[in-house]
Amino acid sequence: MNLTIKGFLRKEFSQTLRDPRMRIFLFVAPVAQLLIFGYAISTEVCNIRLGVYCSPGDVLAQRIEERCLASGWFVPARGPGEDPYRRIQSGRAEAVLIAPPGGLTRALQRNEGRLQLLVDTTNMIRARGIERYIQMVIQQVVSEALPGQEQKPMLKLDIRVLYNPGMQTAFFMVPGVMVMLVCILTILMTSMSLAREKEMGTFETLVSAPIRNWEILLGKTLPFLILGMILVLIILGAAMLIFGLPMRGGFWKFILASFVFVCTTVSIGTLISTLAHNQQQAMMGSFLFMFPGILLSGMMFPIENMPPMLIGIAYLNPLKYFLTLLRNIMLKGGNDQVFWINLGILALIAVIAVAVSFKRFRQTLN
Amino acid sequence: MSAEFRFSRAWSIARKEIRHVRRDPFTLATALGLPILLVVFFGYAIDFNVKDIHMIAADRDNTRASREFLKIFTSSRFFKLEAAAPGQVPQSALDTEQAKGVIIIEPGFSNNLGAGRPAGVQVLLDGADNSITGIISGYLTGIQQAAWKKFSPGPLIQPLRLQTRFLFNQEQNSRWFVVPGLVVVVIGVLSILLTALTVAREWETGSMELLLSTPVRPLEIIFGKLAPYLGLILLSVGMVYLIARFQFGLPFRGNHLLFLAGILLFLTLCLAQGLLISVITRQQQLAMQLAFISGLLPTLLLSGFVFPVESMPPFFQYLTYILAPRWFMVISRGLFLKGAGLLELAQPLLMLLLLNFILVGLALKCFKKDLEP
Repeated sequence: MNLTIKGFLRKEFSQTLRDPRMRIFLFVAPVAQLLIFGYAISTEVCNIRLGVYCSPGDVLAQRIEERCLASGWFVPARGPGEDPYRRIQSGRAEAVLIAPPGGLTRALQRNEGRLQLLVDTTNMIRARGIERYIQMVIQQVVSEALPGQEQKPMLKLDIRVLYNPGMQTAFFMVPGVMVMLVCILTILMTSMSLAREKEMGTFETLVSAPIRNWEILLGKTLPFLILGMILVLIILGAAMLIFGLPMRGGFWKFILASFVFVCTTVSIGTLISTLAHNQQQAMMGSFLFMFPGILLSGMMFPIENMPPMLIGIAYLNPLKYFLTLLRNIMLKGGNDQVFWINLGILALIAVIAVAVSFKRFRQTLN
Repeated sequence: MSAEFRFSRAWSIARKEIRHVRRDPFTLATALGLPILLVVFFGYAIDFNVKDIHMIAADRDNTRASREFLKIFTSSRFFKLEAAAPGQVPQSALDTEQAKGVIIIEPGFSNNLGAGRPAGVQVLLDGADNSITGIISGYLTGIQQAAWKKFSPGPLIQPLRLQTRFLFNQEQNSRWFVVPGLVVVVIGVLSILLTALTVAREWETGSMELLLSTPVRPLEIIFGKLAPYLGLILLSVGMVYLIARFQFGLPFRGNHLLFLAGILLFLTLCLAQGLLISVITRQQQLAMQLAFISGLLPTLLLSGFVFPVESMPPFFQYLTYILAPRWFMVISRGLFLKGAGLLELAQPLLMLLLLNFILVGLALKCFKKDLEP
């Protein structure tokens, strides 16, 4: 290997890894974050605080409450049974069931049972889930209370969630968190390392040294490419060992996709550093790229439904393609067509990013 | 060196910092541009009422009943159906990312339905895409009920009707859910971004030693350095509030003074956190890594902004008790949507106050210990 590049590699590695705290941040923190986010976050609707208001003798309403609590989705509301509205407003209950004045048991015998549900809709996704659960419980309780009244046709949707039949949160979240962590770490490391040289004034020394432009560029980016790939492997190891995430497609597909993605993010980091004058600016520049990048990746929010202009931007987003690739390779078994199309687009973005950043870099040097 | 705190000296530091900011278009662009970007993005782009979800329909019965059944899907406007190609293995549509789900109607659907036997319809969903699968399965419950109504032999008797009132957001508008949370995200992200590096930079470039050799007291340095950012962030919060109210028509049902109190409590907490990071690391690259881990990701992912705190396992729910954004999220949503008063918000406000005492005390102690010989 070229001697200059070797020197750069040695310098960057020792500079980045010299500080033990930095080593922790680079190698331990991502695993810890993967753990926290893989275990903690989900959009599953559960632990709903439910309050039921009925008279003591109302057997049916009480049975509905029991069934709700036994289903595992609900927990009893906190605090005393005050005014139901206030109870929701203060967050001690999220949903409240109110039986009709004469009691639900009697109302049902007259075939005019009406049960009121108040539900906190500050989070509308949860509110809908809650309504759905309660509907299901009520149907069950009613059909047990009034056998033979079933008028419904025997039609049932048999819903199967493929690739993740147990609906495990980790399977949903971990590929997204992987994309996010790799993107954040590589872009920040690259952009700030170059900006630091500028801030410290050592960049001038580099420029005046008898080395060629591409050597500087490669020397400043290759170390982060290698660090990025090590990071990918660490995160993957944690995901597979701790969460038991499968690797249903070929391992080489995963590595190739990661490599192309890391190339893209490292060049974007370089590009940002050519625009920034110091580390703070580099950090903010990285942030201005990463924030929309993460939001428009389809990791948290569905892209399909966005306004056309934003969908257009989302189609330029390397994170979107990498996320599609990861999900497809790890969970779906890596369909060849999907793999090559997404990898091709990702590679195209990578090539453009490398070209633009190289051009900007040359301008900065001269 | 005089011991007492003098505002004139703090003000000189603040003037220096203001000049820094004014000369730096990046900081201004971030402080004022990022909130607008966020609000516009979340206000217009995010809609959890997803429409036209692409599904593949494999109608193996192909009778009038089965076609009518599929019509329920299309007329709901939530789904856009495409007939499966003959001989296509249904699951392959998901493998190749062609569709988000597949509907398979078994042969004999119509006959079974007429005879009162179980009529089979299978729906396959893409379990790799978490952003949409939950939403689809919610819609499917509605579809099933619509199908019952349509295919029931006689009029459908409902002995028990559920009347649901969706409190605080009757139309189930996604915007009302997301935008109040944005105030939290904007403050949390900006304050840490802006402050974590300012003090670390002074250390790294050595100008902190210079500052210390002047008569300025450490406390005055802190106040001087943080005051301009406090102003800048308050300005962007004001902008977010105005856009939320007048562009998106969000209600504000609580007390504005309470809101201001919450903002100030949360903001001082974030600034103290940024300062603490600066003091601990003394180096910009490290400071930034720590700022991301301790500030940005919890604010986005563990605060209840999109992923509800209630859905977390108990251990993590308790862990979020030490996160300020989680509490401020309750306050912001409570004030915008629920019209909560002091009584309802007592717990989150007290928690913010408590965290303030701890974090501000810690930051000042570390800062002083670092500086005074």
